[in-house]
Amino acid sequence: MELKDKELINKAKQGDHDAFEQLVYRYDRSVLSVAMRFVNDPDEAKDIYQEVFIRVFKGLKKFEFRSEFSTWIFRITTNVCLTHKSRSKEQMKFSFNSELLNEDDDFMSKEFIDDRISPEEKASMKNMGEFIDEAVENLSERQKITFILKHYEGYKIREIAEILNCKEGTVKKYLFDAIKNLKNRLKFLVAYQT
Amino acid sequence: MKHNEFRQMIHLSLYGELSEDEQKKLKHHLESCEECKLELEQQKYFLSMVSENRKYKVNDSLLNEARVQLRVALGSEMIKNRPTSTFGERIRSLLSSPPRLAFSALVILLAGFVLGGLFFSRQEFILQNDNQTFNKAALSQVDTRITNLQFVDSDQSDGKIEFIFDAVKRVQLKGKVSDPEIQRILTYAMLNEQNPGSRLNSINVMETCGNITSDKEIKDAVITVVMTDENPGVRMEAIKLISKFNYDESLKQAYLYVLLNDSSSALRIASINALIQAAKSGYQLKQNDIELVMKQAKLDDNNYIRLKSKTLLEEYN
Repeated sequence: MELKDKELINKAKQGDHDAFEQLVYRYDRSVLSVAMRFVNDPDEAKDIYQEVFIRVFKGLKKFEFRSEFSTWIFRITTNVCLTHKSRSKEQMKFSFNSELLNEDDDFMSKEFIDDRISPEEKASMKNMGEFIDEAVENLSERQKITFILKHYEGYKIREIAEILNCKEGTVKKYLFDAIKNLKNRLKFLVAYQT
Repeated sequence: MKHNEFRQMIHLSLYGELSEDEQKKLKHHLESCEECKLELEQQKYFLSMVSENRKYKVNDSLLNEARVQLRVALGSEMIKNRPTSTFGERIRSLLSSPPRLAFSALVILLAGFVLGGLFFSRQEFILQNDNQTFNKAALSQVDTRITNLQFVDSDQSDGKIEFIFDAVKRVQLKGKVSDPEIQRILTYAMLNEQNPGSRLNSINVMETCGNITSDKEIKDAVITVVMTDENPGVRMEAIKLISKFNYDESLKQAYLYVLLNDSSSALRIASINALIQAAKSGYQLKQNDIELVMKQAKLDDNNYIRLKSKTLLEEYN
């Protein structure tokens, strides 16, 4: 019979490596999925995955069941994603100052706002998936993680609030802003499709 | 309720986040508001477009790679976090126990294996008699070396200074190689000793020992060496050593990792041969493992490995 999380956690806390491995295998596909959607790069996603489970391994002894284990793991995942991204942003020397973008900006990349290019031309330059990836990539960090957790991973707003350690209203705002920005960035695509 | 609030409710409705009551309110509003009805349709279309066109999904091969790398990282983490005091205590107990001179092979271990932290780990103390947390007498012993001294506070205005340093003591130890405590020190050395010759010697000594195959910690450590040691000679000796352990999932992962990632073709050959041997003994590869081998069968720059990878795949056809 499959053990419950709590039983596995208690065993893992006592140094049972197999129990820890079972816990990892219960959640690691979702963690990798979130990481992959967040960074859009397999190697970076694997780095995040590793960092998450190393932190889980190190922190497990202090885990006191005050939240669901899954919530705790995805809180760590979110934190690692957010800090990982900021590290890579520091490394990348953007030609524009990305710090100027704030959560409420309806910023659109130059490519998207260039009206000299028709929707057909834009859409033929890349496939649709690439445009969508790029649009999600350009969301602010918190909008992005909220959108990923809600839209792609199917978490409830209440759960996301717990993961992000904020109020449900804040999560809703991130989500609405994310959708609004995505719609703006991808409106040429919607026009092309319809 | 304001019109804009209904628009927000449309988003929440599509994500199943409205209560029954809110859902009724929205439905009622939609019956009379063409603008919101259109918004609902557009929103539905937009969200389905965003869903359907996200090209990547986590595939088994990526997940498998991530798991293998995690296993290596966790192995190193466990070794790093193993309390040094425990090792110190073990060594002290060995030193104080009756001599265990035996009829079997004896091994002499020099403290080169035992890093400073093992016996006299880095100590912090305050040079003040009434607040001493470290036995200063230990420092006066002739064979204690003090290195890596760093000031925490060199300001003497309050009459005190504070610094940290490593106090390293050389230890010579005699014991049976079959002794689990000796094996633990060798395990520590094969993972942490800076000199590759010492790591190699530790592995070679372990190879002569018959009772290590049931020790999971040693097994994990050898797998970690196979996957992470920077020296190919050390990795090669380690891959010979892991063949002594019972073949299981963790060994398979290690062999696959080496086959896919190691720069040394000799190690990749040793891995593919081990996998073929396991296949012949009836050990099954999973579908995602087979995909990884197929990848190698196409991409490896070594003809022999490509050929052997195909042989391995044939074992499963």
